[in-house]
Amino acid sequence: MKKEHEITRRTFLKGSAAAGLLAGIGGATLSDFSKATARAEGETQEFFNACPRNCYDTCSIITTVQDGVIKHVRGNPNSTYTNGRLCVKGYNYPRRVYSPDRIKYPMRQSAKGSGQWEQITWDEAFTIIAEKILEIKNKYGNTLPICLNKYSGNFNVLTYGIEGMMSSIGHTTRCQGTPCWPAGIDSQNFDMGAILNADPESMLKSKMIIVWGANPAWCSVHSMHIIQKAKENGAKVVFIDPIMTASASKADQFIEIKSSTDGALALGMCRYILDHKLQDDAWMEENSIGHEEFVDYVKKNITVEWASEKTGVPVQVIENLAYEYATMEPASIWIGYGMQRHTNGGANVRCIDALAALCGNVGKMGAGANYAQLDSWLFNYAAMTGNGANTDNVEADRNININNFGADLLSLTDPPVEMLWVACRNPMGQDPETGVVRKAYESCDLVVTVDQFFNESCNMSDIVLPCCTIFETWGLHASYWHYWYHGNQPAIAQMYESKTDVEIAMGLSEKLNSLQAGSCTYPTDRTMEEWCAMEMTDGAKELFGFKDWKEIFEKGTAKVTGYEAAWSDGQFRTPSGKYEFYSEQAAAMGNHLLPVYREADETKTDEYNVRLITPHWKYGLHSQFQNLDWMQDIHNEPFVEIHPQMAKDRGIEDGDAVRVENEIGYLVVKAKLTQNVPRDEAVIYEAWYKDNPFNVNYVVKAIPADMGVFATGQPGVSFHDSFVSIKKA
Amino acid sequence: MKKGFVSNMERCIGCNACVIACKQYHGLEPEMKRRKVREMDENIVGQPVRAYLSASCQHCDEPACMKACPTGAYSKREDGVVLHNAEVCIGCRMCQWACPYEAPTFNPVTKKMDKCDFCRERIDAGEQPFCVAGCPMEALEMVDMDEINESDYVSEVKGFVDPSITGANLRVKLPAAVRQVRR
Repeated sequence: MKKEHEITRRTFLKGSAAAGLLAGIGGATLSDFSKATARAEGETQEFFNACPRNCYDTCSIITTVQDGVIKHVRGNPNSTYTNGRLCVKGYNYPRRVYSPDRIKYPMRQSAKGSGQWEQITWDEAFTIIAEKILEIKNKYGNTLPICLNKYSGNFNVLTYGIEGMMSSIGHTTRCQGTPCWPAGIDSQNFDMGAILNADPESMLKSKMIIVWGANPAWCSVHSMHIIQKAKENGAKVVFIDPIMTASASKADQFIEIKSSTDGALALGMCRYILDHKLQDDAWMEENSIGHEEFVDYVKKNITVEWASEKTGVPVQVIENLAYEYATMEPASIWIGYGMQRHTNGGANVRCIDALAALCGNVGKMGAGANYAQLDSWLFNYAAMTGNGANTDNVEADRNININNFGADLLSLTDPPVEMLWVACRNPMGQDPETGVVRKAYESCDLVVTVDQFFNESCNMSDIVLPCCTIFETWGLHASYWHYWYHGNQPAIAQMYESKTDVEIAMGLSEKLNSLQAGSCTYPTDRTMEEWCAMEMTDGAKELFGFKDWKEIFEKGTAKVTGYEAAWSDGQFRTPSGKYEFYSEQAAAMGNHLLPVYREADETKTDEYNVRLITPHWKYGLHSQFQNLDWMQDIHNEPFVEIHPQMAKDRGIEDGDAVRVENEIGYLVVKAKLTQNVPRDEAVIYEAWYKDNPFNVNYVVKAIPADMGVFATGQPGVSFHDSFVSIKKA
Repeated sequence: MKKGFVSNMERCIGCNACVIACKQYHGLEPEMKRRKVREMDENIVGQPVRAYLSASCQHCDEPACMKACPTGAYSKREDGVVLHNAEVCIGCRMCQWACPYEAPTFNPVTKKMDKCDFCRERIDAGEQPFCVAGCPMEALEMVDMDEINESDYVSEVKGFVDPSITGANLRVKLPAAVRQVRR
């Protein structure tokens, strides 16, 4: 590693022995003890951390620490994806760790939403929670009245300790599914048998890159860097999106498409390709089933003119795009999560997959219909594993839809939910239909939230428990996009009274057993380091050439290789082992056998006729980061982007307060006029602004997407299919 | 040798990573910025795009801050880097008002001014300034103004300060035009 030259001498330690000893945490590592103990005052050390957020980029971080305090962070250059550079959110970490707003102690609120908080001890918190759990178990004979709502706010594999703890108590109610990407996951499972994207670094080998419904400049900046580099090297870069995003602003060509009609564009391109015999018959013959049926469907049902009418993209543009895509090999398509957050999102992804397969643009270097992957998640999920106490009267957990959480929870009566545990989530801020979610919170006797900041969900909780940041613990991290696998080590001592999710699980287990022996089987005697040591699979160690998992801290990161091109072995994971244009699994789940166009189920009315798109925000990831004062210093006011024409029709001027309203709620927000959004659609970026009642989910409906059940148990949510009225406030 | 910055709008995505990278590296107070990212006119290259310009202190040939400072807190190194000496600064903000780029920023804790020093320890040790090293899009460059090919860049950007006022050592690459298909 390149050494930094600064006034102070820096010592690079592979492990964290010094900080561990100073802080009284952790144990010996691979590092040199004599060097560590000889550390002079003012000397700096460096540690490997990993950003655990639900993000494509999942970066390996190098943290510089002086006298037990984080001085600054930078990207780990050992990962060629992160390239030694972090995003704006990542550079905020020093402030996040030391933010005056961090939750420091366990807190109890006298009544939900009252704001009347008192500090309690961990023992008091564990006692209140454990007594409630045992009361539920005595009353119902099972623990189904305990609901766990946990997902992706922290993807360190050890955060799954909460699931492990719940499983160690008995059977519980679980929020199942994923809000992010399930429709597209189903599509790719039907078509190819799994989600499996090519290593994004391989886009440098592409002659053409189509980014379809993704905004990497804001949501995957390191991929944006790769795309920009590919473009400067001569690749043609096309962005297809309803919005002229910061990413699309870097394209060779931007094609504005009418929201949720992406499948029509893909099928229109297929028709042109077939008419001009540009398809790869040999590839399809060897690698796919159902291509005859698909070709027949396209020829009988699709015309380029029809596609143009549906999508708003001129015929000539569709033809040129189809010609270029079919002839500029290899061509890579990046299918974004944004484009599948529709009532026909899954069907649209299948159409794009089919376009790639029709051209044989699958399995080759620099090609692919790239969506996501989970092959690099080489974890044992030890913290997640719990062998229940087996003393209850039910056979299984009870699942509800994470994407309709509020309504689903309220509908449960036999037994009802009495206790809710929320971790790595902020449902009051991020779930659709905030009003319904609030009722669900109110219906529970005890709501426990584990978090770092007092967000909307904490405000509606009875007990809030402080969790520590990645800089204060061990961890292993993988991305669902790139193939780097990161180690995370404690750079500083745990702050205030914060604990990790696993420590919370162990503490609660201990309390439960002290109150009623044998009531929880979750282990109570492991250190975080010991837990972490259990998580790396033997396969990962073999692949990386490690004898010991801690060798990950030689470089902080290691790459899972073999995915430079996805599906290059032609071994698809479908029932037929081939690419399935014709998918019986899709049909069994109530979808069409073929990748056909599915009309969107629009909830548009005469009154609420403006589609509201609610994408991710550049200064935050969902409700994280925008609340920090460093971010507030850059930007601190939510807004709605509307086209000047739409504004003119409504007498709205730039900066005016506007009322965005529909059947389920309203919000008042500042208008920002820009030609970078469609004339007939409005855009509000979802985020949590501290001390601001703004929450776009007051007007976002929990409309299910067409797919998601097959692979994730629950349908996705059509975040971009709500319609609103927009008036000057 | 004359140090300057290139701000490449063709690559810049307006993410402000440079601003925060700088802030955390130098341990600035929350309300302080040594670099700013400006959102530029969306029609800067014809059809609308999202365009941004990242700029810090321009380490000008004729620094307005230096002229305005009543205590002589500013100096210019041989390599052009304009430095601020907090020891003699009285926090009067004259430099902030004089600078057309509003580059000097007030430190509410020390009650003195603060400004980009080009990460002098880093550049003296042969490293890049942290904003340059930290930009995820590699949109910032440290250059020797005597060596650059002026025709590769522009110095004037619509909606930004006229650089000739102070002899600003900032060169800019404008965004590339995007072929656009709008509904």
